[in-house]
Amino acid sequence: MASAAAVGLALVPVAYLAVRTGEAGWTRIVDELFTRRVAVLAGRSLALAAVVTSACTAIGVGAAFLVTRTDLPARRFFGVVAALPLAVPTYVAGFAWISTVDRFEGFWPAALVLTLCSYPYVFLPVAAALAGGDPAQEEVSRSLGRGAWRTFASVTLRQVRPSIAAGALLVALYVLSDFGAVSIVRVDTFTRAIFTAFNVGFDRTGALVLSTVLVVLTVLLIGGELTTRARGARYARVGGAGRPPIRLPLRAARWPAAAALTAVAVLALGVPAASLARRLAEGVSRPGSLAEIATAAGNSLAVSLAGALLTMVLALPVGLLTARAPGPLATLLDRLTYVAHALPGVVIGLSLVFFGINVAYPLYQSVWLLALAYATLFLPLAVGAVAGAAAQSPPALEEVARSLGRGPAKVFRTVTLPLTLPGIAAGTALVFLTCMKELPATLLLRPTGMDTLATELWTHTSTASYAAAAPYAALLVGLAAVPTWFLSVRGGA
Amino acid sequence: MLSVTGVRKSYGDVVALDGVDLDVPAGTLVAVLGPSGCGKTTLLRCVAGFEHIHSGRIDVDGRRVAGAGPHVPPHRRRVAVVPQEGALFPHLNVAANVAFGLDRAARRSGRVDEVLALVGLPGFGDRMPHQLSGGQQQRVAVARALAPRPPLVLLDEPFSALDAGLRADVRRDVRQALHTDGATALLVTHDQGEALSMADRVAVMNAGRIVQYGPPAAVYREPADPWVAGFVGEAVLLAATVDGTGAATALGRIALRGPAPAGLHTVLLRPEQLRISDNGGGVAATVVRHDFHGHDALVQLQLADGTRVTARVLDTTPPVVTGETVTVTVSGQAHTFPPRP
Amino acid sequence: MRYALLVTLRSVRIILPLALLAGAAAACGGDEFDSGDPGDKTITVYSGRSESLVAPVLEKFEQQSGMTVKVRYGSTAQMAAQIEEEGDKSPADIFFAQDAGALGAVAKRGLFAPLPSDVLAKVPANYQARSGEWVGVTGRSRVFAYNVDMVPRADLPKSVFDLTGPQWKDKVGVAPTNGSFQAFVTALRVQHGDAKAKEFLTGLKANGALIRESNIQIVQEINDGKLATGLVNHYYVFEQAKEKGITADQMKAKLHFFTGGDTGALVNVAGAGVLKKAATDPDAKALIDYLLSTEGQTYFANETFEYPLVAGVPTAPGLPALDSLAAPKIDLNDLDTLDETVKMIKEAGLA
Repeated sequence: MASAAAVGLALVPVAYLAVRTGEAGWTRIVDELFTRRVAVLAGRSLALAAVVTSACTAIGVGAAFLVTRTDLPARRFFGVVAALPLAVPTYVAGFAWISTVDRFEGFWPAALVLTLCSYPYVFLPVAAALAGGDPAQEEVSRSLGRGAWRTFASVTLRQVRPSIAAGALLVALYVLSDFGAVSIVRVDTFTRAIFTAFNVGFDRTGALVLSTVLVVLTVLLIGGELTTRARGARYARVGGAGRPPIRLPLRAARWPAAAALTAVAVLALGVPAASLARRLAEGVSRPGSLAEIATAAGNSLAVSLAGALLTMVLALPVGLLTARAPGPLATLLDRLTYVAHALPGVVIGLSLVFFGINVAYPLYQSVWLLALAYATLFLPLAVGAVAGAAAQSPPALEEVARSLGRGPAKVFRTVTLPLTLPGIAAGTALVFLTCMKELPATLLLRPTGMDTLATELWTHTSTASYAAAAPYAALLVGLAAVPTWFLSVRGGA
Repeated sequence: MLSVTGVRKSYGDVVALDGVDLDVPAGTLVAVLGPSGCGKTTLLRCVAGFEHIHSGRIDVDGRRVAGAGPHVPPHRRRVAVVPQEGALFPHLNVAANVAFGLDRAARRSGRVDEVLALVGLPGFGDRMPHQLSGGQQQRVAVARALAPRPPLVLLDEPFSALDAGLRADVRRDVRQALHTDGATALLVTHDQGEALSMADRVAVMNAGRIVQYGPPAAVYREPADPWVAGFVGEAVLLAATVDGTGAATALGRIALRGPAPAGLHTVLLRPEQLRISDNGGGVAATVVRHDFHGHDALVQLQLADGTRVTARVLDTTPPVVTGETVTVTVSGQAHTFPPRP
Repeated sequence: MRYALLVTLRSVRIILPLALLAGAAAACGGDEFDSGDPGDKTITVYSGRSESLVAPVLEKFEQQSGMTVKVRYGSTAQMAAQIEEEGDKSPADIFFAQDAGALGAVAKRGLFAPLPSDVLAKVPANYQARSGEWVGVTGRSRVFAYNVDMVPRADLPKSVFDLTGPQWKDKVGVAPTNGSFQAFVTALRVQHGDAKAKEFLTGLKANGALIRESNIQIVQEINDGKLATGLVNHYYVFEQAKEKGITADQMKAKLHFFTGGDTGALVNVAGAGVLKKAATDPDAKALIDYLLSTEGQTYFANETFEYPLVAGVPTAPGLPALDSLAAPKIDLNDLDTLDETVKMIKEAGLA
């Protein structure tokens, strides 16, 4: 019941799209959708998603492997650094790149920026899976005559395939929904077309009709991911009794590997940092008073926290259901949370304006509706974390606790919660930092008069006051880096 | 203390419990013995309250916990469970694990130390579960179940994960602890040795029914049917022609334990009833196989008419060689199975 | 399964209060709610104009009037979409937009109340809605911006139509998704007919026009020498000079105003309208009045480098006066056929 309610909420944008698209009428829909341009844009969006997802998988898995399974120098340091790009919003990264490299525009530059910002979505879960995996299967493989590298490729990678697939799906959906990088680096994608439709002639209906295509693409992607999962079946995790994973000696490749990770870090973190510093030095505009910056930072933290916690409340039933009572229903509910994930923030924002005005007017332009929008956008991030965490508290423990006379609520508080809390906290941290970076829905739904770091950043860049914008960007990245750091440390990297 | 009457439970088309009746008297340890898939774990989960039953009823300590009327939730049944592999709470230390089912007053009463001592782990309260060996974890799990003095303790294959040497020790100590504490317990296991050595009574279960219920010796010596005979131990089943005083078999004439109607029967001997000698009387047999077990050995023999039988010989008897011819005698009486209802 | 559900239900009960707490903390950051009642000394403004441009003037107004102005900032297009989505229940009293097109779109949905005649009287008739639902606050001229090192003054185009010629191949930056470019195209259609406008757009595209996301970007690239020229609004050069701490004269990017009533010199407005629920709210009228006062107009002239629309307020130094511009004689009210324009821009392959 609770799961269905949570999923229902996540589907508000889809319902909204259905209402508005319905109003548009058939001829309008056909006019908007069945054009060559739509086909080209959809193709390009999918191509971008494919390229970025492949690149993120390569970098994410590679970095995770180096950090968890080899004798790489300064492994812990790289474990944290490799996760940090998650704190950089794509619009900040895109902006940094175009102001650093001449003629930085088009498909491949956009792919580069998106890859650098989103590969941690693959890195984090895969690193956690690699660090926590049971070495027994690998030992069996080695004993059957497969070398260390072949074992990694044929056994280890297969073990962590669900983590890779989950991360890759998030990246693909993220690329479909991203507007920041693609607009700045100028590549025409579907999401950009939707934003353009809003801007060009203030055409709300056309933009919304176009958005339905993204929903269709998302459903296709989810379906694709499900089929790989069905073939991969379930991987039983027999408790590895805390044995540390096998580490492979890199030998001559040690320093080149470290250099490669350093290069990724420089591109993903160094370029934005240098660009921000340069902007600050070149411009004469200055941000408002320290108090203003502090207020924006405080607001960012508060709304992101509210958003993250609300998302978690909604994700708990779905995640626990997926973990505890797997089956077609749980899978369906779980997947439905993804449907809104690829919709651009502005569509989510408008759908919640619609929801707030027509259904929940007392909440309209309150922090709650904004938090709800975050929940709608980022539910899948949290559901995945909860499902993973629930595995840390097998049902046998809860049954024992109940047989010892504790009621369900008390069992949850004294057994389930303490055991799943680290995982839930990690999920909350992930949603929290993602909320901090979110812009379009925040602009539409924030309480009137409330500024966050992201909105301040937007305000200042839209009037070319880059020096004034730089501190907000730096603070945004800095604050988002804290939960990211927590995630990477926890990932066992 | 526990009374299970006519309990049925199925999962879709699969019948897990097909009319189970079982009474566990206070202060006894009853083992439910059966092969995997026979429904024994389902029975335990129904008694614990983790599963709902479809018909029948379950009473614990004179109180209806399942059946017509409301289903009492697990935490109100006062039935403590010791699951497989212990399932200690990994985030709590040993003392906190043991105290889990206790109220505040009971915690201060020294009950925790008492039950830890009972299972042979005094002074282990501050350890964390991951610092314990498998056997110690299992002892703590038992202590945790005993601590609140529940009317009934359920043990779900609690020793299956332990290695053989350790298992015997833990079994003995747990049995001792249960008895000392006066607990009533239901042990679910597929290990006949465990059931026979620990339990006061054994309920043999097959295909969702209890096929025999009695003291270990009775179940072993007088199994209800050939299946039970084979499940609770090595069985020598012989075709026999029964007359007034005994039975004629391939091993010669054998006395019967009880009266049986004349006619063709299958009779049961246990391997330890067969004696091997290289001279002397008896029936001639060829040694087909010899499985050495240390304290004893199982020797498979082929009789002149082709019947194969198994003899258990102690290590003290002279060694037998495969292919050699020996003679076999029978000591004691054979068991005839009661007629099928 | 039933058990799992039970557990999850309980879990929600435990985490929900935490979320409520965080939300309450965030809510404390917000201001008191606008009751929406007329004369309550509180008004809510939806601003499609940037905070750094508008906030100072609104603060001044607050100080002088003793009112509280609650402002929501966003892009003009997004604000228009939001107001349309909110309909009658919109918390907004005033919509302050960057573009006459957006004001027209909201007016068309019947969400604006007509403004009092004394307000409308302050601004020339061609810079306000014919039916009085919105009024221009400041003017912004379309210009041809160029890099002074890359384009000799003598080569500057006489008309915007020259830009489809071979000498401008691969040299002109445009921002077709920008409202002001769209208004310019609509003006082309009004002045020269659809056929000519279409020909111009296709010509522009064929001539290798460089498409950019925003006017800011075009001006920036021109100044950096990455782009030779572009069609933009006049004030961006001043904004960027300000960011660099120099005067507009010192910028490499220069402005060229088309003359002789050429459509390329269209003057559009940023303006405001009052939503129906605030039709009789004296507070809302007070703010509009302030924006059109000498003080308000002077602020915009000097800080945002736009043209004041109220007579008697001088333009910023370095900028030709509004009446000295040979702007095309176009009534902004005639620029309400945006759908056609958008279709045309898309068909020309510019968006």
